[in-house]
Amino acid sequence: MNWALKVEGLGRVYGDPGARSLPGTGPEHGTSVSPATGAVVAVWDVGFEVEPGEALGIVGESGSGKSTVMRCVAGDERPSRGSAYLRGYDDGRTDVLALGDGERRRLRIDRVSVVYQDPAAGLDLDTSAGGNIAERLTAAGGRHFGRIRERAAELLELTEVPLSRMDDPVRTFSGGMRQRVQIAKALANRPPVLLLDEPTTGLDASVAAGVLDLLRNLLERLGVAAVVVSHDFGVIEMLTRRVMVMQHGRVVETGLTDQLLEDPQHPYSQRLVAAARG
Amino acid sequence: MNVLEIRGLAKSFTLHTIDGRTVGALHGVDLDVAAGEHVALAGASGAGKSSLLRCVHRTYVPTAGRILLRTSSGQSVDLAALPDAQVADLRGRDLGYVSQFLRAEPRRAVLDVVARAGAARGLDLDAARDAAAAALRRLGIEERLWAMHTTVLSGGQKQRVNLAAGTISPPRLLLLDEPVSALDPVNREAVLSMIADLTGAGVAVLSVFHDLDAIERLATRVVVLKDGRVAADGPPRAVLRESELNLEVAR
Repeated sequence: MNWALKVEGLGRVYGDPGARSLPGTGPEHGTSVSPATGAVVAVWDVGFEVEPGEALGIVGESGSGKSTVMRCVAGDERPSRGSAYLRGYDDGRTDVLALGDGERRRLRIDRVSVVYQDPAAGLDLDTSAGGNIAERLTAAGGRHFGRIRERAAELLELTEVPLSRMDDPVRTFSGGMRQRVQIAKALANRPPVLLLDEPTTGLDASVAAGVLDLLRNLLERLGVAAVVVSHDFGVIEMLTRRVMVMQHGRVVETGLTDQLLEDPQHPYSQRLVAAARG
Repeated sequence: MNVLEIRGLAKSFTLHTIDGRTVGALHGVDLDVAAGEHVALAGASGAGKSSLLRCVHRTYVPTAGRILLRTSSGQSVDLAALPDAQVADLRGRDLGYVSQFLRAEPRRAVLDVVARAGAARGLDLDAARDAAAAALRRLGIEERLWAMHTTVLSGGQKQRVNLAAGTISPPRLLLLDEPVSALDPVNREAVLSMIADLTGAGVAVLSVFHDLDAIERLATRVVVLKDGRVAADGPPRAVLRESELNLEVAR
């Protein structure tokens, strides 16, 4: 077993999830909306594996299903079908998508972390940077105040947040700094799997570049398995070594990241790359 | 012992965004590279030289044929058919590619870029830093630049940093695509002598150089491509002289 995360046959349908919702949807039909039932086939038959220390990118336009894949794996949403396995959980034998809500939430403490595009989705803005991180540490059983504070400081240093700001509410932080705090919190309990959903979208270009540098360094250093969802090929090129292209809920191409950028095979991938290149 | 054996390699591009037309780049290429051999690809632009390198690196998806690589663990794998994750694992220690340009790096110090490349090929961090320092010194990158970000370097400096990163603790098979295009004579000399030493150390090199002088100096064999096919294969002097004659006849 070489993977840290394995996903098989993932599907998410809004509306009638029956087989009759599938015909007429997908890339060859140009829509994810079922002509028969009106159901939205947001994701269908998506599978992948990610090795420790490897980052896999998922690209596609809005509505391609890439963020839905992320939310299903993260446990923010229940898929209609499919399974996911974590090497760090029951040696990869248990389908974590089938677990109850409580157990799913527990996985988020120290096995699978998510960094959202919007820091407000991953942080309590009215709590201090240190407090946000401490919350995640105590969820994992941390009780010793001094040690929690020490670890929080260590994480803020790792993500290059000035320690002088540790006790300020996150609301008083700039966008780039909030994102760094969110990353620090996500890494708090050393999760083997990290999910990044448009981690630099919405930040000023120079700020985004700084966060990207940080993420690249962290991914290299920590050996986590990462899934990076982004519509920005610059982000994908910098962070990932393999990539999956999605359109209308389906995977239309998988490849090495440099290969996808230099020699995209699928018509949709070629269009995306051409558009990104201007 | 052959490190690389290419058989019947074909590559074509289907341009869906234009009108779906297909453009051929390679049409059945056979080529071997042994350990300690430096095979230089020659031929006019558009002959398929870079496409061939990119197919071997799997930056391009080969259309047909086999690209057999003997890995450091003694296995023979077909790069044309190997799953992406396994190709990614081979990149680095077994398969290296140095292009004309330094690839997109984050704002990172020069020494760090080179040392990380060494670490990625299995050196421990201290050994990687020492080797990186030695490589940078040899290629004439002054010590005052080592702590600077690569983004502030000149084109020629970037190219040498790129080469230092690509050749530190060298891979079994090294693909070089115009690695000296931006260099002045002194630095070019340092780079050529470094590449010559790689061959001596048993690395298999497959290269594209525009300048014939570099080819004559480094190559143990030259393969001339013409319209995506092998037109000649042999010792540098003989092959180059013949293709020069052909050029003159063509004129």
